[in-house]
Amino acid sequence: MNVLLAAVKAYELRNKNKAELLKTLDEQKQELASLRVQKVAGGSASKLHQIGLARKNIARTLTVINQTQREQLRLFYQKKKYIPLDLRVKKTRAMRRALTPFERSLKTQKEQKKLNHFPLRKYAVKA
Amino acid sequence: MAPKASPKSKAAAAKKAALKGVHGKSVRKVRTSTHFHLPKTLRLSRKPKYARKSVPHLPRMDQYRVVRNPLNSETAMKKIEEHNTLTFIVDVKANKHQIKDAVKRLYDVEALKVNTLIRPDGKKKAYVRLTADVDALDVANKIGLI
Repeated sequence: MNVLLAAVKAYELRNKNKAELLKTLDEQKQELASLRVQKVAGGSASKLHQIGLARKNIARTLTVINQTQREQLRLFYQKKKYIPLDLRVKKTRAMRRALTPFERSLKTQKEQKKLNHFPLRKYAVKA
Repeated sequence: MAPKASPKSKAAAAKKAALKGVHGKSVRKVRTSTHFHLPKTLRLSRKPKYARKSVPHLPRMDQYRVVRNPLNSETAMKKIEEHNTLTFIVDVKANKHQIKDAVKRLYDVEALKVNTLIRPDGKKKAYVRLTADVDALDVANKIGLI
């Protein structure tokens, strides 16, 4: 009935703009829906095999959409002070709340004086 | 208050104000009810400095997610012919409004009413009765069901 499904290539998708990508996504979902109907109405084995391909195509399109979206957003927020939480560094909760390297390097005046007055000395042995 | 404020009385009033402060007279608020109700305070609207989520998600429950596939069992075919209804397997989280809307978007048909049930195998089945001006058999042919 339909043309056999081809695996859509991600690098070809990246050339499209957002409106085209959303349209492609819609078409792919329609493909999947029609394949599901054919499965119920007794489709051939090749048609059933297409279902897996269709699902992965949809996944690829969504990945490209979301990847490019987030990439653009990161560019947009690069110079800004406050960025959305899902674009911030994830690491772990404890690591996010830990002292920054600058905060760790701070010394009290007492400690500073000690370091100044009693620095690490270098000795040499006369041969 | 003297009608003509002589410089001496003005100076005396200024001295008193400087020493004692100006809030000397206290006035009791007039209460017209015996009950104390929450006073109306200032309510500021939100002005977030940044969006919490960078971008809102695409609609999660779109028509392709709601309606999974139509049914063509014997009883489903009977329903198509006799009662002008289509039977669908539908997402468990879908409600009747969503089903009606999804069927409209997918197949361009108006639903008169939607009845749902949850099958013993955990899937949701929806009986979608179509309006009288549409023939369910035609729609089923168009979908590819028969």
